[in-house]
Amino acid sequence: MTIPGVAIVTGGAAGLGEAIAHRLADEGAAVVVADIDAAGARRVADALTQSGATAAAVPCDVTRGADVEQATQVAAGLGPIRVLVCSAAVESRQSVIECTDEEWQRVLDVDLKGPFLCMKAAIPHMVANGGGTVVAMGSTLGLIVAPGHPAYCAAKGGLVNLCKQAAIEHAGDNVRVNVVAPSATDTGLFIRFSAEAPDPEALRQRIADLNPMHRLGTAREVCDAVAFLASDAASYTSGCVIPIDGALAARRM
Amino acid sequence: MTGAPVLNFQRLLPDKVALITGSGSGQGRAAAQLFADHGARVVVVDINDEGAAETVQLLEEHGGEGMAVHADVSSRPDVDRMVAAAVERYGRLDVLYNNAAVQMSGRLVDCTEEDWDLTIATNLSAIFWACRAALPHLLEDGGGSIINTASTLGLIGSEGYAAYGAAKAGLVLLTKQLAVEYGPAVRANVIAPGSIDTPRFRKVLEKTPGAEQFVDGLRRTIPVGRLGRAEDVAAIALFLASDQSAYVSGAVVPADGGLAALR
Repeated sequence: MTIPGVAIVTGGAAGLGEAIAHRLADEGAAVVVADIDAAGARRVADALTQSGATAAAVPCDVTRGADVEQATQVAAGLGPIRVLVCSAAVESRQSVIECTDEEWQRVLDVDLKGPFLCMKAAIPHMVANGGGTVVAMGSTLGLIVAPGHPAYCAAKGGLVNLCKQAAIEHAGDNVRVNVVAPSATDTGLFIRFSAEAPDPEALRQRIADLNPMHRLGTAREVCDAVAFLASDAASYTSGCVIPIDGALAARRM
Repeated sequence: MTGAPVLNFQRLLPDKVALITGSGSGQGRAAAQLFADHGARVVVVDINDEGAAETVQLLEEHGGEGMAVHADVSSRPDVDRMVAAAVERYGRLDVLYNNAAVQMSGRLVDCTEEDWDLTIATNLSAIFWACRAALPHLLEDGGGSIINTASTLGLIGSEGYAAYGAAKAGLVLLTKQLAVEYGPAVRANVIAPGSIDTPRFRKVLEKTPGAEQFVDGLRRTIPVGRLGRAEDVAAIALFLASDQSAYVSGAVVPADGGLAALR
């Protein structure tokens, strides 16, 4: 029972978000699985409930304030909101010249405005309940860049500073805000992305070899960091970015 | 030697065409004047037509050349038009200096969705639009330099600037992205100004209670012990625009009197 209270996990219907939802439930939290994929959210919430946890599913497009408010209300109905994990995100692979307005806006809305709206909705509940913690899913590409990801890099880079702002603003309210910055992990987005390659295994190895540990990260390793930041073990840690990347960013920064 | 003519004054931007957004006043105007002094033809872009016209007049009074272009950079069609106007008039583009910005303060939970959208559009999307429109011209004309104005608040957190800080930090990464993607031909760098004593800064100050005390407090946090001047920033922009910085790309140059280093 290291994480009591209610946790909201956006993008919780699949991939890293799903793994995080399970991990927070294992740590004792009641979990609200908020995802644009309503059926997926339902599936994950059912699995959590079957394993003995308290859970609820909410269809939620994080770019829509009304959806985010709805998820927050559902969470508040389960108890005091203690944890918000902003995990919903979309990727984009287009060069600056090729990137369309629609693509730029879509990525910025989901990956940057989404966390803003979620924090704006959840933090007042945390403040009212004496504290809480936000963990946002950043990315190696919010710390360093690779060609072909302008919108994603801009959004994830912005997210880091957004979280630092929020951390400073609510430091006195016992609300902590931190970022985890994974590189490619063997889950969700990356599996889908690599499956499209002509030789998926070769691509996986090539990406793995970019980092000094020569392997992909795992969902468990990301969950460990999220659980740490969400728990009291990190009670003096706020405004920080933890890379989970096999030292990839360290080499390039 | 005071007052002696500068005999071997080297013009750093001869025949270059430089587009500067937000150059109807403040930092943008100072850069426009300095760039023109160094031989550039300057496309003076601003949402304020009067300010832009005044800047062009100032350039011309010193023997420089420029044109005023109206644009609200939070509007994509305006951004496309401003780049097209520059190329139509001068036939080329060498320097794109994205300086225009809006600054709204307010704690995260008080920041409205409208303020968020306007801040992200003006301070981040606008620069993406401008670079997307300008890059084909920069590439066609043998390369060029992109300079983006971020902020100390894009490097560190501060109270009350959620949207602004997020936009400016995003801009830092967007710029690095540009540097990596278009490396051989186009350089892209960031200037990160701290507190610069411009007309806009003064306007904000007018609304601040206890303004003098506030400025004193601010000054104490800046290692060099003074606020910045628009000319301080323009000098960095000139360096980044010119071949003096031919091997500098993807850099973030603070114009903050040491503020970010302290923090």
